[in-house]
Amino acid sequence: MHPVAEVVLDASAPPSEPGGRQPLPSPSSPRNGGSPSAPGSLLAWLRYTALVPALIPAGIIVAIVWTITYASRLTSLPGFFSFNWAPTSSWGIGVFVVGSFMTAVPALFFSMLVGLGLAVASTTYLPRLAASLLDPFVDLLAGIPSVIYGIWGYVVIGPYFGLTLNPWLSAHLQFLPWFHATKAAPINTLGLGLPLAIFVLTLMALPITTLLIRDSLRAVPRELWESGLALGATRWEVLRRVAFPYSRRGIMSAAFLGFGRAFGETVAVAMLIGSTAQIPPSFYGTGYTMAAAMFELIDSAYTSAQWLSVLTEMAIVLLAISLLVNVAGRRLVISLSTTEVAGV
Amino acid sequence: MSGEGPVGNGPILSVDHLTVTAKGKTLLDDISLDFASNSLTAVVGPSGCGKTTLVRSLNRMTELTPGLRVKGAVNYLGQNIYDRSVNPVLVRRRIGMVFQRPTVFPNSIYENAAFGLRLVHEEEGKIDIAVRHALTRAGLWDEVKDDLERPALSLSGGQQQRLCIARALAVRPRVLLLDEPTSALDPGSTQRLEETMEHLKEEMVLVLVTHNVGQAARVSDRVAFLHTGHLVEMGETEEILERPKDPLTQQFITGRFP
Amino acid sequence: MAAAGALVAELPPADVLIDRSARTRFRLGFDRAMSWLTPLLFLVAIVPILDMVYYISRKVVPTLTWNIITSTNPYQTDALGVPLQTTFYLIGLSTALAVAFGLLGGIATAELLPERWANVARTSANLLVGTPSIIIGYLGYLAFVLYFGWGLVFLSGAVTLSFFMTPYVFRTADLAFSSIPRHIREAALGNGAAPSQYILRVGLPIAFPQILTGVFLAMAIGIGETAPLVITMEPGVLVPSNVFSPAIVLTEVIWENFTSGEPLLVLKAFQAAFLLLVIVLALNVIVRVISARYQKRLEGLYQ
Repeated sequence: MHPVAEVVLDASAPPSEPGGRQPLPSPSSPRNGGSPSAPGSLLAWLRYTALVPALIPAGIIVAIVWTITYASRLTSLPGFFSFNWAPTSSWGIGVFVVGSFMTAVPALFFSMLVGLGLAVASTTYLPRLAASLLDPFVDLLAGIPSVIYGIWGYVVIGPYFGLTLNPWLSAHLQFLPWFHATKAAPINTLGLGLPLAIFVLTLMALPITTLLIRDSLRAVPRELWESGLALGATRWEVLRRVAFPYSRRGIMSAAFLGFGRAFGETVAVAMLIGSTAQIPPSFYGTGYTMAAAMFELIDSAYTSAQWLSVLTEMAIVLLAISLLVNVAGRRLVISLSTTEVAGV
Repeated sequence: MSGEGPVGNGPILSVDHLTVTAKGKTLLDDISLDFASNSLTAVVGPSGCGKTTLVRSLNRMTELTPGLRVKGAVNYLGQNIYDRSVNPVLVRRRIGMVFQRPTVFPNSIYENAAFGLRLVHEEEGKIDIAVRHALTRAGLWDEVKDDLERPALSLSGGQQQRLCIARALAVRPRVLLLDEPTSALDPGSTQRLEETMEHLKEEMVLVLVTHNVGQAARVSDRVAFLHTGHLVEMGETEEILERPKDPLTQQFITGRFP
Repeated sequence: MAAAGALVAELPPADVLIDRSARTRFRLGFDRAMSWLTPLLFLVAIVPILDMVYYISRKVVPTLTWNIITSTNPYQTDALGVPLQTTFYLIGLSTALAVAFGLLGGIATAELLPERWANVARTSANLLVGTPSIIIGYLGYLAFVLYFGWGLVFLSGAVTLSFFMTPYVFRTADLAFSSIPRHIREAALGNGAAPSQYILRVGLPIAFPQILTGVFLAMAIGIGETAPLVITMEPGVLVPSNVFSPAIVLTEVIWENFTSGEPLLVLKAFQAAFLLLVIVLALNVIVRVISARYQKRLEGLYQ
């Protein structure tokens, strides 16, 4: 996944031409613009052969859904919908689902916060030149492979979290039960666990949230900006009272797609979360996510039908959530563009 | 409205040797003029003559266009709005502006009209009164009073433009700048808006940019004629339109300009 | 309007330009504070990137020799020649597949399909981009490794990887063809060009730079993928001799070695990370350069 590409491609959806763009004429009558549904014309049907390559992405998605539903029928799994993960007597995937949400939701929160700030800075406060020099850094964040985030997080950031930040947080957040490390749930010195995973996921989701918010703020008509300012509002007040409400759909879709990104991330999380099939006993504890678990436990599936089937069912849950989030996010983008066409 | 007259004897708004350049190109060249209080001054001229630049420089909207440089002074009650100690945000609360196309915000009619007051945390009761007052002055109250919570975007174009005027009036500016406010409206709406302007000019300074000589003749007291960034001529409307001194003005009035 | 009159009296006078009320000072101060604070947030993006590049380079550059990069000797444990070459072969095959699928699909979507079907195609390409990599990897595992019985080999990885890359090529091809100005399209067809002639002789040359950015982007993504390759291929010690050989790529070297604790192996992981970073950043720069040039060209086209 490459959020920048995703956004770049998405934001610049094919320009709609007045009257709509007509498909090229049928090969049967190139000069007259033959009707695609000319009855009896064999050549007219040739147009529909174009469906074959065009629907390859759709085919891949169908293949994913079909394959994993097919594979999931292999065997029954005791205790699948529980929080008890004790192969091979109980296969509760609850811990993984909870772990996925516990990492993705805070990461999304932080990356939306920073993303809003970055989008505001580059559309509102910074001079154009400065913005065009700084924005590529955010885009670059999307280009770095997740395994590099993983090794950097493990070697550079992890020890800092384990030795400095987590003990400090634990000492200062004593009044919150779950945020206080105990003997039973100590802080590991490698720093592996929720905070580290959240930190790196925040960085990884940042480009997609920033870019989508930036684009939707740029879509606010210039006249609206100016009339806000002409009423004696400060730039911040125009942002808060005019630009944010105007672009709320774009901002929401940034949240959805950013969540999808954080939720599905695999390798970096597998390297940093500590890979323990448990709900983290404290904020500083280790855990697991669905994506990381599928990735790391797949070796067992090569020989065991039961393992294969539990991973498949995990894949179904993960796929269902990520499709849901992506469809929701993209619907918002689409309706955003239609309101724009309708005009203000 | 009592207490709205000019302080002392000076004009509320005057322009003093104003020059605006953009990347070496001169958009306005050494303009000096006064805007009389309780009157409507029309700024006319062929397209590209700098009339929009002129009104935008009257409340520092020029700063929003990168690369524009302003020299000279615009005095509001004797104080230069381009002075370093003056914040443009405060200038724009005193000198309001309405644009070519209606620019209502994507919320209710009431919230649109209350926008400027919410910024300074006025009490709800005061805001209610001010909204009603502003909508009345903009000539919109009777049409919208039953449903102020309707989305502003559901209004017609002419109503939206009057809502924009009401929104600007609600913060009680001394000066209202109107940048071709009727150019996107149908004739009926244009006529209503012109009536609104007739009422408003009795209590404040109105500056109207228009490319339509007929409109200037109908609503304005004074006319300033701009050509390629120069102030060619300025005076009483009748004077300028009927007995122009400059041949350029003559040409423009008789429609021999593009 | 008596009520309005009362209000008028209470509002601040509208004839001073300098307002020192607490509320006004707060409003202006808050705006100014945001104008300083929000740009500072760029540090959140810039510091990690610089730190990553700096840390990895500092650790790796003094240790890197030409021999390490090129040697494919299976007994030389510190050599990266095998994964490096394998990465190039794998990306080569995946790119070929992705370009074949993506280009045909994108052009068909932009030029041939009725709007309704085109939207189905576009939506599914977008959804595929948003699907977690582990899910696509898992499809490859179930379909190629298990169902087709290819096993954990080069081909399984390459085809799985091409699934990631296809939607990027697809969407850039679609976008490039869709944004060819209408007048050019009409001029070509109006002068009697057959649709196929239009696509090959007019459309493709215009769309080529943008499609190329899509291809490079897809390659950058493919090279950085880890999870789907780890689960569809068995790490090999040799450069694969055919598509049914086990294979190891750079990202896999990092994944296999980063926790080993063995200093030499950790260093090897970092060396692989360095090479990966260089390749991926170079591809990103290429994408930027091409798209900047392409934009200029397109601007000229519209004039």
